[in-house]
Amino acid sequence: MGTEEKLSGRKNIVFCILSIILLCILLFPLYWVVVTSLKTEKEIFQIPPTFWPHILNLKSYMAQLEVGDFNMFQSFGNSLIIAVGSMLISIVLAVPASYGIAKYHFKGKRFIILCFLVTQMLPVSVLLTPLFIMFRNMHLYNTYPAAILADATIGIPFSILILKNYFGSIPGELEEAAYIDGCTRFSAFIRVLIPIAKPGVVVCGIFSFLYAWGDLAYGMTFILDQEKRPITAGIFNFMGQYGTKWSYLTAFAVVTIIPVALIFIFMQKYIISGMTSGAVKG
Amino acid sequence: MNRVKRFFRYDNIGYLFVLPAFIYMLYFVGYPIVSNFILSFQDVTVKTLKAEEKPFVGLQNYIELFQQDNVLTTSIWNTFIFTVGCLIFQFIIGFALALFFNRNFSFSKPVRGLLMMPWMIPITVTALIFKFMFGTDVGIINYFLKSLGIISQNIDWLTNTRTAMGAVIFTNIWIGIPFNMILIATGLTTIPTELYESASIDGAGKVQTFFRITLPLLKPTIESVLILGFIYTFKVYDLVYVMTSGGPVNSTHMLSTYSYKLSFEMFKYSKGAAVANILFIILFIVSLLYLKYVYTEEEA
Repeated sequence: MGTEEKLSGRKNIVFCILSIILLCILLFPLYWVVVTSLKTEKEIFQIPPTFWPHILNLKSYMAQLEVGDFNMFQSFGNSLIIAVGSMLISIVLAVPASYGIAKYHFKGKRFIILCFLVTQMLPVSVLLTPLFIMFRNMHLYNTYPAAILADATIGIPFSILILKNYFGSIPGELEEAAYIDGCTRFSAFIRVLIPIAKPGVVVCGIFSFLYAWGDLAYGMTFILDQEKRPITAGIFNFMGQYGTKWSYLTAFAVVTIIPVALIFIFMQKYIISGMTSGAVKG
Repeated sequence: MNRVKRFFRYDNIGYLFVLPAFIYMLYFVGYPIVSNFILSFQDVTVKTLKAEEKPFVGLQNYIELFQQDNVLTTSIWNTFIFTVGCLIFQFIIGFALALFFNRNFSFSKPVRGLLMMPWMIPITVTALIFKFMFGTDVGIINYFLKSLGIISQNIDWLTNTRTAMGAVIFTNIWIGIPFNMILIATGLTTIPTELYESASIDGAGKVQTFFRITLPLLKPTIESVLILGFIYTFKVYDLVYVMTSGGPVNSTHMLSTYSYKLSFEMFKYSKGAAVANILFIILFIVSLLYLKYVYTEEEA
């Protein structure tokens, strides 16, 4: 069904127009948050609402550049540190593990795969309280590493399950050729196999980053000080205190979306492959 | 030493590659699961958090939760309503969109790609956007409904016990549509075109083709989409916590948000752990179903 003939002429135009209408409806909330962030507080409450800013107002963004309780860029930086940190842990641990699973037949392999599968389905609630107590005892509570270590537990199993398919599809001859050329198992893995599986590693990097970037529960529970909290927790705090300051809140939201949008625009093909292979095949 | 070397020759070297990740997950996931179970059989609050010996109370937390606390039963009930409500709509809409974009027209691929956006956005942000849109006076949704003549007075969506759940479900459907759409779209591409050709030669209509060919052949995809959707939806946390925090009057409390409230707002860590365990056990059973399904698929 995927190779259906291309629609032509009027039918093609009708479908194109329909798809644009669907797009406008479904992505309206995103348009709305961007537009609102550029309005003045007065215009936001205007009835009937304006569908584009009549007075362009950048104050909501500028105000948060200043030092204050809710320094958006500070929490943006915190989120970057946490997301990149957890992405690095995920990749460093998942790449060898997935290679080991894909290329070697050892006892208990099936059980190990099963364990990784199950952890993907875990609710955060189960880990929150015990990890909270654990991090307190390890004196990691209220530090970046607490959030980084916890966020990586989402990225690792996802990455392993995706990457094992990538490594599995690399023909064994390539590896053997590397051995003949004098590579050891480890150098063949690093010099030959990882470069071939690079697209898979990119998918895992993106998803591990996005999981950590979007996380609220861990960042909010394991980090207490507002200056160290990720941007999602910053938004939540801000909502609690300035519940109706929608110009600031929407600006905050737009800034949080920016990295996601950039990743989305430049790496779309990776995202779709990650979503489908990660979810269906497990 | 030699024995160690011999063990790691050939296939057993795989252990060396897998171990670091496995140990990490054992330490930060496996161990917490076990300690969460233990915690739920103890009585740990702020006072006893740092104590060496924690009082063991057996099943008392669970008994108290079920007998005295009707918020628990409300949360269980809510979580199921939320999950089923979301699943039905996001599956039907996702399916319809997958069929639509499966037609080969000029914009099909790029527009379908853009529709993935809602799934990528941090859930906190989505919750904020919809909280704004569902606002009583400021919200665009009330404005639309009023200009269409569907309502005459503004509805206080998120602060009314009768409408809050609906609003939260609506938001989660928006997040879930792309996920359903892309998985079903992938399933559709596996159906060979020849089947449709021969069906149309045999004079089958569009509706007949859909029910006789598309649906039966898509059954494995549909099953896995629904089970996975159930798991992802059932453990909802951020969305509800940011939009309503479980209110008004517990009308949107889920197992996850209630567990969080017990642990981190009321500091009854053991009670919170017990609620989290109930959530875990339900999800674990569903996960087993899914795994059984995945493995029978692989062997078939």
